[in-house]
Amino acid sequence: MSVTEKQLKSFARLARLDFPDSELEAFKGEFEEMIAFCDSINSSVQGDAASIREVGSRRIEWEDLREDVVQQSLPEEKILSNVNGENGYFTVKRVVK
Amino acid sequence: MSRIQQLSSALRDKKISSEELTIEYVKRTERLNPVLNAYVCTTFAEAIDNARAADKLIAKGEGTLLTGIPMALKDNIATDGLPTTCCSKILQGYRPYYDAAVWQKLKSQGAVLMGKTNMDEFAMGSTSETSVYGAPLNPVNTAHVTGGSSGGSAAAVKADMAVYALGSDTGGSIRQPAAFCGAVGFKPTYGAVSRYGLIAYGSSLDQIGPLTSSVQDAAIVYDAIRGKDVRDQTSLCTPQGETKLTGDVKGLKIGVADEFFEGINPEIKSAIDAAICLYERAGAQVKRISIPALKSALPVYYIIACAEASSNLGRYDGIRYGFRAKDYADIDDMVVKTRTQGFGREVKKRIMLGTYVLSSGYFDAYYKKACLIRQQIISEFKNVFSDCDILIAPAAPVTAFTLGYSGGNPIEMYLSDVCTVPVNIAGLPAVSLPCGKDKQGLPIGMQVIADRLCDGTALSAALFFEKEAGIVIENQGDIK
Repeated sequence: MSVTEKQLKSFARLARLDFPDSELEAFKGEFEEMIAFCDSINSSVQGDAASIREVGSRRIEWEDLREDVVQQSLPEEKILSNVNGENGYFTVKRVVK
Repeated sequence: MSRIQQLSSALRDKKISSEELTIEYVKRTERLNPVLNAYVCTTFAEAIDNARAADKLIAKGEGTLLTGIPMALKDNIATDGLPTTCCSKILQGYRPYYDAAVWQKLKSQGAVLMGKTNMDEFAMGSTSETSVYGAPLNPVNTAHVTGGSSGGSAAAVKADMAVYALGSDTGGSIRQPAAFCGAVGFKPTYGAVSRYGLIAYGSSLDQIGPLTSSVQDAAIVYDAIRGKDVRDQTSLCTPQGETKLTGDVKGLKIGVADEFFEGINPEIKSAIDAAICLYERAGAQVKRISIPALKSALPVYYIIACAEASSNLGRYDGIRYGFRAKDYADIDDMVVKTRTQGFGREVKKRIMLGTYVLSSGYFDAYYKKACLIRQQIISEFKNVFSDCDILIAPAAPVTAFTLGYSGGNPIEMYLSDVCTVPVNIAGLPAVSLPCGKDKQGLPIGMQVIADRLCDGTALSAALFFEKEAGIVIENQGDIK
């Protein structure tokens, strides 16, 4: 299966990545190889995929869930210790103009 | 006695203190790590403090087998206040503010953490060469890779820079490096060990497990980290009490599936065949079987793992932790530039593939179909285990690659996971242990696979081979 550069850029936008034009051609080749590799599942499915019966899917047991009670939060200074937060906030460039 | 049992007994009998033992390990690591690059961060000062605390615990008679024993954690396991980077630029400088469940458990037993080990970036790879810190080297032969993604953990154990290490296994990342380095690697049943605090790659496949120098040690560490955890809804209750390994295989039914042997190196096939003969001679029944759906296991694995990765890695935006790009126009531009500059090539490739298979128009053809074939694989394994106790298979179709080999065809590298990914797809437990060497002297690994929650069966059958074949994992003292 071939992928156009336009499609690749669209997937990159969804993944919030950017490929400069200089890298795109080389990446396109590798990406097509990976898709061709994944395409091999189509030859292995006998008949309609929808006809394969789902088995063994695990259900969440309600008794496994914890009580819905407020638990202690992590301290603010610890949460902000990985970035240069200001006044208790994560800071980014101004969004509202 | 296993290595952990020996050291633990020496600590209890006061033949050596944990502090003295830890200092020995620090010295050895200072000598070997500059060559092997197994650790990407060492925590020697904390290790000595922990060792002193462990000595007090032992003196009070409150220690366990793991109290005071030097060990290592893969760099994707969260450690409060200590760097945890997944060997990626995007998590540069990140220090979690909580401990992973496995580290909480080990720490409460007085484990002595030597440092965090090298790995493929976000555990995506089979050689550990995608690490932003450069590849760790195989202690058996430094011209070869350690395997991956838990390559640093395997190298640290093999070179005796840690008595044991934890790794994570999404498609073979504990078992394959154990095989390449000549160590024991154990991937427990999916859910047997809490994933709380493990940085996610493919959440329905990821599992934490030990790398050790014997099967007995793998069982000891497994017992210390397993069990239900309310913070991981996929975690399971495991059998109570210690995992007892009898090593008795008389009457054991062993399945040997042809699909695991297709295209493997003849030297590896011979070594596995010889191992199977040992089991037969001890009274095990060997059955040749077929698991046809395994033919699709690799593409199914890559579709599901990449789809889950594309979602899991969506959280890295440069806002709350880790790397943030410097020059950007607005917040959207910042996120795109942070991710583009912060992720390595292999990670970006897998995020793109995951985005593709989940996108509108392709979801049914790839992701949905892969999930359905996954059910087929689970069902076929279920049938097999209605008539077999364990399966024996190679841990990898080849022995350790030479460094830099992964620069070739990327699909060829993915094919090297063919023996390990079916186990993750079906959530089964499997042990990888050494069963010989190839002509170059590189270790060959064998897998013992059991049914879900039959972790003890897999370990016990592996112990039989380790004893019967006289496998003693020598620590690689002389690194060339």
